[in-house]
Amino acid sequence: MHVEVTKHDFEPKIVAFVCTWCTYAGADLAGTSRMQYPPNVRVLKFPCTGRIDPVFILRAFQKGADGVLVSGCHPGDCHYMAGNFHARRRFAAFRALLDFVGVDLNRLQFSWVSAAEGGKWVDVVTELTERVRTMGPMPEFKELEHEEQWSGAINTPELKEAYDSIG
Amino acid sequence: MNAKANKNQVTCIEPDYYQAITEAIRKEAVKILKDETVVGVVGYLPGRRKGTASPALVTTVEEAEKLIFSPACVNNLSVYLTKAKKGVLKQGKVGIVAKGCDMRALAGLMTESQLQREDLFIIGVVCPGVYGFGVERTGTLTEANIARKCRECTVHMPEGADVAAGTHAELADLTPEEAQEMARIEAMPQAERWAFWKEHFSRCIRCMACRQVCPFCYCEQCLCDKNRPQAVESSPRPAGNMAWHLVRAMHLAGRCGGCAECERVCPMDIPLNLLNRRMAQELKELYDFEAGLTPVDKGPLNEYKENDDQSFIK
Amino acid sequence: MPQIITEQNLRNLIDLLVKEAKLVVGPKLSGSVVLYEPLTAGSDLTLDALPRRSSKELFFPICEDILSYKRENGAMKVNDVDRSKFPEAVLIGAPPCDAGSPAILDAVMSWDYKDEFYLERRRKSTIVGIACTKGDDACFCRAVGLAPDAEAGSDLFLTPLKDGSYACNAVTEKGQALVAAHQNLFSEGAGAEPKPFVDQAVAKLNLVKIKKWLEEHFEDPLWEKIADICVGCGACAFICPACHCFDINDEGSTDDGVRRKHWDACGFAKFTNHASGHNPRDVQNKRYRNRIMHKFKYYDDKFGKTLCTGCGRCIRACPVGIDIAEILETINSKQD
Repeated sequence: MHVEVTKHDFEPKIVAFVCTWCTYAGADLAGTSRMQYPPNVRVLKFPCTGRIDPVFILRAFQKGADGVLVSGCHPGDCHYMAGNFHARRRFAAFRALLDFVGVDLNRLQFSWVSAAEGGKWVDVVTELTERVRTMGPMPEFKELEHEEQWSGAINTPELKEAYDSIG
Repeated sequence: MNAKANKNQVTCIEPDYYQAITEAIRKEAVKILKDETVVGVVGYLPGRRKGTASPALVTTVEEAEKLIFSPACVNNLSVYLTKAKKGVLKQGKVGIVAKGCDMRALAGLMTESQLQREDLFIIGVVCPGVYGFGVERTGTLTEANIARKCRECTVHMPEGADVAAGTHAELADLTPEEAQEMARIEAMPQAERWAFWKEHFSRCIRCMACRQVCPFCYCEQCLCDKNRPQAVESSPRPAGNMAWHLVRAMHLAGRCGGCAECERVCPMDIPLNLLNRRMAQELKELYDFEAGLTPVDKGPLNEYKENDDQSFIK
Repeated sequence: MPQIITEQNLRNLIDLLVKEAKLVVGPKLSGSVVLYEPLTAGSDLTLDALPRRSSKELFFPICEDILSYKRENGAMKVNDVDRSKFPEAVLIGAPPCDAGSPAILDAVMSWDYKDEFYLERRRKSTIVGIACTKGDDACFCRAVGLAPDAEAGSDLFLTPLKDGSYACNAVTEKGQALVAAHQNLFSEGAGAEPKPFVDQAVAKLNLVKIKKWLEEHFEDPLWEKIADICVGCGACAFICPACHCFDINDEGSTDDGVRRKHWDACGFAKFTNHASGHNPRDVQNKRYRNRIMHKFKYYDDKFGKTLCTGCGRCIRACPVGIDIAEILETINSKQD
């Protein structure tokens, strides 16, 4: 089997936080079924979506992710009965917060993918990857990583700008 | 605007009003200390500087006779009843002076099993409002010096308190500055919103005053103090600051009582209550939850319904 | 004959210094607050309010990198920060309570261990202090031995005159050099009368007596009385011109990261927490006691100086209204 690889100018980094019981198994099914999906996604396995703290998402963006996927069991299928119900509320709130501080929610995807849905996993990952690819790299959090308070910076950007304008 | 509220609305609240509350608080505090209903009373004492006040943990009748209430009594005293301040007060039933906004915090702490109602004697204050930050402290409360949170206060009456000090008075026709600011931010293009918060958070010095005064930040180990593993950088740089404030807002979602202490104490003037307010608004829209004066069984993020909205989930 | 500089020429001086590629730091409106920040033009200078944070951050940044490390081919490579790249700086418009702080901090920073990050920044900076004609009921510089016109710490000292210009006194060689390099902006003359200073609410304190009381009252009910209400934030320490505690953190991964030095505060519960879990300052009043002891006893013991300039920032900023001037007055008024 040979699939043609398209070269792109920009390969987004996608981090996927998934639960071990459903989505991880679903992704595994996609793999064992030899389905193709973008290799941009880095999968991190958690016991449950209820264990996925919003701070993980922040951390992923800070450390270079251009898009984040959170995925777990369908409502009612949680291995721990209600972990995904709690996660659903938490992430609904977290999305509002991110939106309020100016983060583009198109970079953050939530999905329910069961162990039997290898095909859905492929669809979700492909769609998110392509969407983020058209959006380009996510600059906000990455730029912040390199910013210093003026006193700690050896050369402050503000001053540099002033010097440049003087010529 | 309802007729009942109109009747009591005036353009300034004179020192007399606060003096009457002061008298009522003193009387009540002395009584409950004398008859040993409580082991101590958390209230306010005047500060050295004109128009200032400090929280006070009062255990004797003599001290109780010096308690005050004035527009300078800005603190939410419920923080002294939490685990974070454990050991400061003797074991036993405690009296506390509480404004409406502080009572929401008490209710929240009861919801979270941090406090028991029967361990408290609440001296509720019928509060017309307190001073904002950096305003003229004349003793009279006016539109010019009232705190931003008080402009939209809905809990002037401390319902559910053991006793209430004060009658009812509130300032008329206050502009809802915070609501206007919320609307302004929401209307900004996304990049502008990011720039707005980035500028504010970059100024943060991580003094943690926002955390320390918050009645709900009672965790014995704050996630943001941990370094193995490290979730949020502890260094005061723009990256860690942004993460800290987002984590803080998230951890308070569905719990915050809206006392806006975090915003008041920020030495860098970061409008932190806007974040809390945005979260409260969202939880109201999605789950019809509002922080109130009575404890509930569970907060909105500690419960769920099977048919909760999931339109954002694929 | 004193030198006089007009307000316009003071702003022109800033313009010139910026053009000379110096880091010029002074009070500037940043959002809704005035902070010491790099000035990009003379018009940025805002002298009508005391900045929220002190000017110590020019010498002792809120957070700075001290080294970076990276594992390459199995070996760890460590890169020190090149301190020679620290910019030449001029601090301008600092009142005596800010300008005076380096004169206090130099002692601890060049004691048994030489803090080269601080000292290099100090060597490369010139401080233009300005006599303070403002102030509010939180100010108490006179009480701790300073004054609104104290020149300690300044290289060049400006006194505001009633006609809006400033009388200049070059206190040190650095100050003289700054004037000499821009002589055309200064003129000689007697100048107008100086602007009056504001009265302060706190009378001069007997610091020797306070220190003696502190020596004898490590254990005292006063500490619980004044500090049980302390909520344990770091606001007082962070905005203080004299507090200088810092923490060092490695941030990044085990293979690639940065070692950072940043402000710390004795009010934090974690400040003295041992790895074992034991905390010798286990309750807040002990932490607050340390703040007072350090400022008015320990620092004096070691370096013969008081670690407080009376700027009043901690009084204005304390979330629970703890008033250090009131505490000092209380101790000062004790009979023995």
